Parts: sequence; C-alpha cells; structure tokens
Amino acid sequence: MLMANGLVKRFRTRTGLTTAVDNITMSVAAGEVLAFLGPNGAGKTTTIKMVAGLIRPDRGQVVVHNMDVTGRPALAAARLGAVLEGSRNLYWRLTCLENLIYWGTLRRLSPSEARSRAVELLRLVDLEQCQHNTVQTLSRGMQQKLALCQALMHQPKLVLLDEPTLGLDLVSAQVIKAMVRRLAGDGVAILLTTHQMDVAQQLADRLAIIRSGKLMLTGKTAEVLARYSRPVWRIAVSHPLPADRLAAVRDLGWSIEQPTPADLLVTPPADDPTVIYRLLDVLRPQPIRLVQRHQADLAEVFRQVMAEGEALL
Amino acid sequence: MTSLLVAEWRRTVIDLVRYPLETVSMTVVMFAVFAGMFFGAHYLTAAPFGGVNLAGVVIGYTVWTLVMSAAGFMGSSIQNEAQNGTLEQVMLAPWLTVQIFLVRSLMDVVEMLIPILAVLAGLVLLSGAQLHWRPLALLPAMMTVVTAWGIGLMMAALALLFKRMSQMQMMLQFALLFVIMVPVAAMQGVVGAVLGLLAPLTVQVSVLHATLSVAVPGISANLWWEAAADMALWFGAGYWLLRAADTLARRRGIVGHY
Repeated sequence: MLMANGLVKRFRTRTGLTTAVDNITMSVAAGEVLAFLGPNGAGKTTTIKMVAGLIRPDRGQVVVHNMDVTGRPALAAARLGAVLEGSRNLYWRLTCLENLIYWGTLRRLSPSEARSRAVELLRLVDLEQCQHNTVQTLSRGMQQKLALCQALMHQPKLVLLDEPTLGLDLVSAQVIKAMVRRLAGDGVAILLTTHQMDVAQQLADRLAIIRSGKLMLTGKTAEVLARYSRPVWRIAVSHPLPADRLAAVRDLGWSIEQPTPADLLVTPPADDPTVIYRLLDVLRPQPIRLVQRHQADLAEVFRQVMAEGEALL
Repeated sequence: MTSLLVAEWRRTVIDLVRYPLETVSMTVVMFAVFAGMFFGAHYLTAAPFGGVNLAGVVIGYTVWTLVMSAAGFMGSSIQNEAQNGTLEQVMLAPWLTVQIFLVRSLMDVVEMLIPILAVLAGLVLLSGAQLHWRPLALLPAMMTVVTAWGIGLMMAALALLFKRMSQMQMMLQFALLFVIMVPVAAMQGVVGAVLGLLAPLTVQVSVLHATLSVAVPGISANLWWEAAADMALWFGAGYWLLRAADTLARRRGIVGHY
C-alpha cells in the first residue's frame, strides 16, 4: 500500500545543510500497522510529511496504492488520510458534524455522502452526543478522536497517524487504539509515530526505529522483541533464599543477580527452556511467587537501539 | 470543482449564521456607508435622489470593496490558517492550493456582495432614488476584481512563504489606491500603453469609469483589449507565483510553519 524508497531530505539552517532524513526505505502493507519510532528530532514527522506530500523529498520516491505520488501532493492527498501532530486538524468554530462534512466534501464526497459517513464515524468513536458541539468546547481526547474521523472521511487506504494518543486520558487512548485495530482489520495500512512505547507495542505489526534521520532497525514486532529478549529468568520467592540454596543454584552453573533479597535474576549456562526444572528442583520447597523468562518490551528495545546508534555515530 | 465550491460555500454560510453579530455588524457598516453616499450626495448637491453620479459613486465603492477583499483575502486566509494550525490539513486536500484559496476568495466576494446588494436595494426603496447605470459596467467591474485576484494570489504566495505579513496587507491598500488613481485613459502614446499594461487595475478602472459615465459616448476597442490583457497578465502572474510558492514551501518544508 505504501512504499517509500530512499527518501532523503536536507534543510538549510544557519549552520549549513542538515540532513533530517537520510535514505529511509520502508513499506506498509494493507491491513498492517507500522510503528515508526525515534527520539525527538529523529526525522519521523519529516518522513510522514514527505509521504503525505507536505514536504517534497530531495531524493527518493513515494508510492501509494501503486501510484508514484512523489512531488504530486494532490494525488497523494486523494489516497491517504492524516492526523498531524501539533496541528489542530479541525476548525474550532464549526461543530463536529460540520467539520466532518466540510472535510469530506473537500475530499470530493457529496454532501449527503459526507453526512452519512460523518454520522457513522461519530458513532464509532462515541461522539454522537457531541455532534452539534463546536470543536472549541470539546476535550483534548474528543478533539483527537474527531481529528481521526476527519482523516477517515474519504475512506483512505493509507492512514498516517502522528502521535495519535499524545496527551490523551486512558479511555480516549483506548478508543483511538480500538479504531486503529479496526482500521487495520478492514485492510487499511497505517503508519504510526508515537513516543508511547506501550501503544506501539500493542498496535504495531512491524517496527521501524529511526535515529538522526537514519533507519536503525526494522522488523516484525514479535521477532524484534524476541531478538532483544535475553535468556534470563526472574524468580520471585516469598522469603529471602538461604545461602545454601543460592550456592546450590550456582553449583548448577547458573549466574545469579539479586535486585532484592527475594528476587532473583538467574542466567542458565545454556539457553534451553527446560533447564528451569532443574532450578525449581533445587529451590523446592521454597514458596515461589513468580517464574518468568525475560521478555524484552519495546521501551527496552528502543533504549538498546538508541545506545547502539550512539556507539555507531 | 463542484465539491470544492459546495464545501466552501457551506462553510461560509455556517460562519455567517453561527456568528450573527459579525454578520449584522458588517451589514450595519455597509448600510451606514451607502446611506452616507445616498443622503450625503442629496444634502450636498440639493439635487433629487439618484442620478448618474450617485450610481458611479455606489458602484465605484462596491468595486473598491470587492477589490480590497480579492487582493487581501487569500494572503490573510493563509496566514490565519497557519496561525491556527489548519493550513497543512487544508493542503492535504486533493486540490491545488491555488484552487482552494481562489474558491475561498470567491466565496468571500459573494459573502460581501450579498449584503451590499441587499442594503442597496433597501436604500433605493427607502429613498426612491434610481441608480442609472449600464449593465455593460459589469464587465469591467468583473475584470477589475479578477485583476485584483491576481494581486491577491501574489500576496497569498508571499503569505505561504513568509506567513506574517499583516503590515504588508495594510500597505497594499495604499498601493492599490495609488495605482487606481493613475489616469491611464488620459495618457497618450507609449507611456500610457505601457503603464496601462503593467500597472494593475488602472486600465480596468478607467474602462469601468467610462462605462458608468454618460459623458463618455464610447470606449475604444484598444482600451478593452488593454484591460483584458492586463487582467490576464496579473491573474496569470499571480496564479503562477502561488503555484511556484506552493512548490517552494513544500521543498523547504515550511508549509505549516508560523
């Protein structure tokens, strides 16, 4: 659905030319959510805007729905919807319904089509009751839900979401996440940027991590998390283990870290999932509260990728 | 193009109805201006209401109002959209930026024309005055507004690149007033022709003035052609400049900057 090849963007600053995006290549298939992650100033928004046609790349190509839209913003706009971060996306003096009808009609829907689509979307995001309220009277969460509806009016096959859950309360964020999942289920390709790693981990089928304009890592979320998970087991016991038990564990060849006296981080001599039984035999009959193999979360992956990038640069 | 026109027309109407105080204030100001013209002319000349000069003054003022709107609206609209943070979303619509802002400016002209015509009709009925004017005057009036759109497109191009230009908008009024005052029709020879072609609005205003005046029996075909060429030149230049500014703004990544 989206294919971005070798995107490059340089901006002229007072200190000279700055490369904001350096040879980024990525793709998002229909029904897929790609989380595009990176620290502030990494080039995420510039990339999203290049895909949207708001920024013209110096080099590279953007193909949306089999159509090369590079340098053809009107063509790009017809094929995608976007919720931009730091942008209001809506007219504050219009009501929710009027806003959606306006943006829908602007995107070539007839007024009646726009109205029925607007009502349908407002129902989906629980804003039916507020359809006649002006945007300026809505909460931040409501505005963000409405901005998402605005981007979906013309039923685009590609949706760009720049920080869609930023500053939202739990309930509003849940609604946005549910909408994203629903859209992906309907075959819409979604390119998502966020600093909230839990949101990315919950939603993304694939990840792309960018740092200083360069793509540092890309892959399927589950595979990336597995790759960054370590063969370390966390064992939480009810009472601190006696010294002889700890010695017995060490005798098995396991290394032990103890963040707290009742918490063990143990690394087996070999990465074999069955070795845990030998350890449990040694610990018997100590009451055990938790046995968990280390599973990297996205925040951990992100930190490591950033650290690796730091070392490279 | 129909959906763009419908979208902008609906937004204009909603804005007019949603904020009635603004609409009423605008109508009251127009009423005061036109009533001043009607009754002021009557008081000063002790002549009966109406007459050719009154029509000239009224139409002249109306066209001037529309020219100011056409020349200034697109620039201030881009500036406001950038300030409010909606410009990027507008430029994500499947239309050329120039098309969107031209349609918006057209709606603004219509929005101004409706109360003007309503106020005029009311005053004509109230005073019993008659405005004597030739329908032919509509043509140079339209040419004047289209030429002003050319200037408006240039201002929009600057607004897209520099955003903050309210001071320049104020200067524009004086600049336009100055060029309109140049008596191109009275100038003979090459200087008159070159000035007529290069200076915006002067030649259209001259033709408009001639069509409103009974004292001028006919307008030379050359003057009409000159007015048309000048209009095409300024509108074309404005259109091209805004397209170029659009491309440049996207290349520099400054579309949404304010």
